[in-house]
Amino acid sequence: MEQALEYLAFSPPGWGGNLLRGLLSTLQIAFGAYALGLCLGLCGALGKIYGGPVTRWGLEIYTTLIRAVPELVLILLLYYAGTDLLNTALESFGYERVDIDGLWAGIYVIGFVQGAYSTEVFRAAFQAVPTGQIEAARAIGMSPFKSHTRVVIPAMIPFAIPGLANLWLITTKDTALLAVVGFSELLLETKQAAGGTKSYLLFYCAAAVLYLLVTLCSNVIFGQIERHYRRGQPAQT
Amino acid sequence: MKKIITILAGTAAALSMSAQLAFADLKIGIAAEAYPPFAEKAADGTWKGWEVDMIGAVCAAMNEKCEIVPIAWDGIIPALLAKKMDVIMASMSITEERQKTIAFSDKYYNTPAVIVAPKGSSISGDAASVKGKIVGVQVSTIHANYVEKHFGDADAKSYNTFDEHNQDLVAGRVDAVVGDSLAMQPFLSSDAGKGFEIKGELNDVAVFGPGVGGGLRKEDTDLAAKLNAAIKKVREDGTYGEISKKYFSFDIYGG
Repeated sequence: MEQALEYLAFSPPGWGGNLLRGLLSTLQIAFGAYALGLCLGLCGALGKIYGGPVTRWGLEIYTTLIRAVPELVLILLLYYAGTDLLNTALESFGYERVDIDGLWAGIYVIGFVQGAYSTEVFRAAFQAVPTGQIEAARAIGMSPFKSHTRVVIPAMIPFAIPGLANLWLITTKDTALLAVVGFSELLLETKQAAGGTKSYLLFYCAAAVLYLLVTLCSNVIFGQIERHYRRGQPAQT
Repeated sequence: MKKIITILAGTAAALSMSAQLAFADLKIGIAAEAYPPFAEKAADGTWKGWEVDMIGAVCAAMNEKCEIVPIAWDGIIPALLAKKMDVIMASMSITEERQKTIAFSDKYYNTPAVIVAPKGSSISGDAASVKGKIVGVQVSTIHANYVEKHFGDADAKSYNTFDEHNQDLVAGRVDAVVGDSLAMQPFLSSDAGKGFEIKGELNDVAVFGPGVGGGLRKEDTDLAAKLNAAIKKVREDGTYGEISKKYFSFDIYGG
C-alpha cells in the first residue's frame, strides 16, 4: 500500500504528475476534436437535409467512408502519410516544411471522424422536430435563417443530446489511440509508468479510475444541459 | 466553386497555425516504451538508460544539438521516412530486410538473443523443445524473425512492446519469450521475473545481423558519414567504456 502511494505521488519519483499531465492532454484533444466534430456534424446535417444532390452525395460518401474505416487506421494515415503529403506539397510550392505535432494531428483526425458520426446524430434530431413548428415559424414571417436559429435548432437539441453525450464519451476514449503515434496522452503515460515501475495493475487501474471520473463528470454536465433544453417540454415517462 | 476555395483556404490557414516550422536541431528517434537498461522514461519525464547516454555522447561528438523524439516502435520507420526524426537510435538491429527501406550507420552495440522460460520448464534453445509451445516476441524485431525461421513448429505470438510479452509470460499466456539478453536482465531481477530464467542463447548471423546501428534515410549520406565518425570517436576516446561501466560489467560492443 505504501509502495502504491509512493508510485502515485505527484512529484518524482512518483508518477502521479505524469498521469495527470497525460489526462490533461487527453482532455485537450477530446475537447478540440469534439468541437471540430460538432461543427462538421452541424454543417453536414444541414447539407444532407437541404443540400443539392452533389452536396448530399458528397456527405454520404464522407459519412459512409469514415464510419467504415477504423480510427486507428485513419490516425496512422494522417499522421505519417498525411504529414508527408502536406510537406511534399509545401516544398513543391517552395514553402518550408512543417511538422504537425501529435496534439493537432489528433484533434484533426478524431474531429474528422466525430464529424461523420455527429452528422448522423444531428440529421436524425432535425428530422424529429415536428413539421408544424417549422411551418408556424414560416407562417409568422420568419426568414429561413431566423426560423432555424429561433425554432428549429433549439427544438432539435433535446433530440440530439443523448447521441452527442455518447459521442463525447467515445471521443475521450478515442484519444487513447494516439498512444500509437507516441503522443503522450493518458494511456501512453500509464504504459510508461507501468513499464518503469513494473506495477502494471496499479497504474492501469489508476488510468481506468481517471477515465471513469471523466465519464462521471461528463454525465453530470450533460444531464444539466439536457434539463435546460428540455424545459417546457412534457416530462418523459 | 468559390465556396470550396474559401473553405480550402480556411483549412489551410488553420493548418498553418497548428503546424510549427520544423526545427534545425537533429532529431533522434527512440521507442516510446520502457526498454531498460537501454532506454526508459523516468518519473520526472526525462529519458535515461545506456542508449540515451550514448545518444548524448554521439551528439556531442558530432557537435550537434539533439532532440529526442519518442515514437511507438511499430511506427518508427514510417516516422523516419516522414522526416519526423533524422536518426533512429532505438536498439534497432541492422538487417537486410530493413536495409531495403532505410540506411544504417555502423553498429554501436551487439548483444546476443536469448530464450526465457519458467524455471523447471523443458524449453531450451533448440527447435524441438518449443514444438507446440506458445512463444512471445516483439513485433518486427530480429527476435520475431528468428522465431519465424527456426521455431516453425511453435505458435508465435506478437506483441507491440517488449514489456507486454514479458507480462504475458508472467501471466502464463505464453510458454517462453525470445528477446535481447541485456533487456531481459532487469525483468529477470524484478519480482515478477523471479520464477524465470534464460534457457539458451540463440545464434544465427543471417537473422541477427551485425548488431545495432542508427537508422537513417537513404538519401542522408552526409549524416551517415558524420554519425559513423562520431561512433568511432566515442569508441576510441573511452566515452563508450565510461557509459557502459555505469550499466554493464562487460563491453557490449561485441566482437
